[in-house]
Amino acid sequence: MNAINRHELFVLDEGENPVEVTEDTKIPNAATIRIAKQDHTLGNMVRAQLLSMPSVLFAGYKVPHPLQPYFIIKVQTDGTITPQFALETACNDLIKMVGDLEVKFKREFAFKDADGATGSNAAGGPTAGGDDPYGGGGGWSEGKDYLDF
Amino acid sequence: MDGAAIVRIRELKKDSVNFVLENVDLAFANSLRRVVMADIPSIAIDMVEIDANTTVLPDEFIAHRLGMVPLISANCDDAMRYTRDCTCPAGCPICSIWLQLSVTCTDDRTIDVTSDNLEVVPGPFGMSMSMDDAPEELTKRGPYFGHPVNEPGAQPVLLCKIRKGQELKLRCVARKGIAKEHAKWSPCSAVSFEYDPHNKLRHTTHWFEVDERAEWPLGPNAEEEEAPREDQPFDFNAKPNKFYMEVETDGSLGAQEVIMKGLAELQTKLANLILGIKPDLDMIAGGDGQAAGAWGTDGGNWNASEPAAGGAWGAATAQDATSPAWANTAPPFGGGSSRRGAASPGRAAWSSSPTGGGGGGGWGGAQTGWGSPNRETNGWAT
Repeated sequence: MNAINRHELFVLDEGENPVEVTEDTKIPNAATIRIAKQDHTLGNMVRAQLLSMPSVLFAGYKVPHPLQPYFIIKVQTDGTITPQFALETACNDLIKMVGDLEVKFKREFAFKDADGATGSNAAGGPTAGGDDPYGGGGGWSEGKDYLDF
Repeated sequence: MDGAAIVRIRELKKDSVNFVLENVDLAFANSLRRVVMADIPSIAIDMVEIDANTTVLPDEFIAHRLGMVPLISANCDDAMRYTRDCTCPAGCPICSIWLQLSVTCTDDRTIDVTSDNLEVVPGPFGMSMSMDDAPEELTKRGPYFGHPVNEPGAQPVLLCKIRKGQELKLRCVARKGIAKEHAKWSPCSAVSFEYDPHNKLRHTTHWFEVDERAEWPLGPNAEEEEAPREDQPFDFNAKPNKFYMEVETDGSLGAQEVIMKGLAELQTKLANLILGIKPDLDMIAGGDGQAAGAWGTDGGNWNASEPAAGGAWGAATAQDATSPAWANTAPPFGGGSSRRGAASPGRAAWSSSPTGGGGGGGWGGAQTGWGSPNRETNGWAT
């Protein structure tokens, strides 16, 4: 009854800031960052990454209310870097890791396809009419030339 | 994380993939699981207009079943727009797919109405656009884009049974969406996730009557890990390191596509967070507008953040040479605040010429566009 519309869980409101940083006034090198329209998927991952950094003293996140589509993450560092920078570094590291994982997955998928048996090219049949309806390999591999700059 | 991640695919079918993920964090593996379940767009019937329904099932019942029918959504990231992002007033071929179903029973036998009876139709506008001047999205669609999934040898989805004299006639509009809005948009029918099959970490407690071993038989994943010795002390510092996952799709997307899109979606989320922390990023705004609900269109927002972090950023890039640095390459296109985020989801390949201070100045236009590929031409994102 009090739940918001489902699409508001992931679509930013007009003029809404996706990220708001509030620096803590009582604790040194600490900040509370409010991230709108995101949930545990991002929060927990970033929190875990922050905790793995030696210069981060504290990192914790919470979704204050299940009906409100945002989370806050608190970061305290040892002073060598700002909390914002710690968060940014954590994200960059994670992006690198996901990118690395993407390459590995691609390679594994290619292996399995080469093995023949069950790859996406098996998706033939009446509907497919020879063209792979699942776009296995096709869809995402195109336009991924992200080194084009 | 400790060491590089390892992926090993144990089994790959066209609609399922079973893999082992090693050397990643529990939180990360869980995020991957969450993202493939809830954040990947697919197509599903979203609106049903019933012209005639003399079957035993009420309209709502049938409409709900229709929504659950998986439709082929390969490449729908690029091949279709969200209706909320589309410029059309009430649905156009770029953001909607029309389907029709019309079955009447005149036999003495009962007839099954199945997803095979659903046919894709051009829609109220007709196919006014020929394939030559069709918008970019339409050219990226496969021949059976939006059709109900129809596996050779598999039964179609049963919607209703009708007997002599009964009729079911309806029109549907299928749209793109994600499972956070409604589970019908989830491309996954099942995602299994397991770690620590021997429960060495004691993340769970096995309740048992007499014999724990007998009452909690080991699963197949237990073979992957060494069983703890009887006298082995509990290692309270141990962390889960090896994750067994199986992603099974409903056929709307292939398993491979789901995984790759899931990873891309994670990167988009992270990149959007980075862009959000950095101040003075007025140039990213416009183009990326409405991306996955992550960005407002208002470039002005960025200027509002305090400039302090800008300096910190500059200093820090110098300090940490290994972390990717945002480059100061001249933006290859556009100018001022209307620059659009380019499509290239630049990953590890950030150019490393840190220019420090000011933050905003350090953002090359080419690097700003995170997220789904092929966003460059239209700025629509997923």
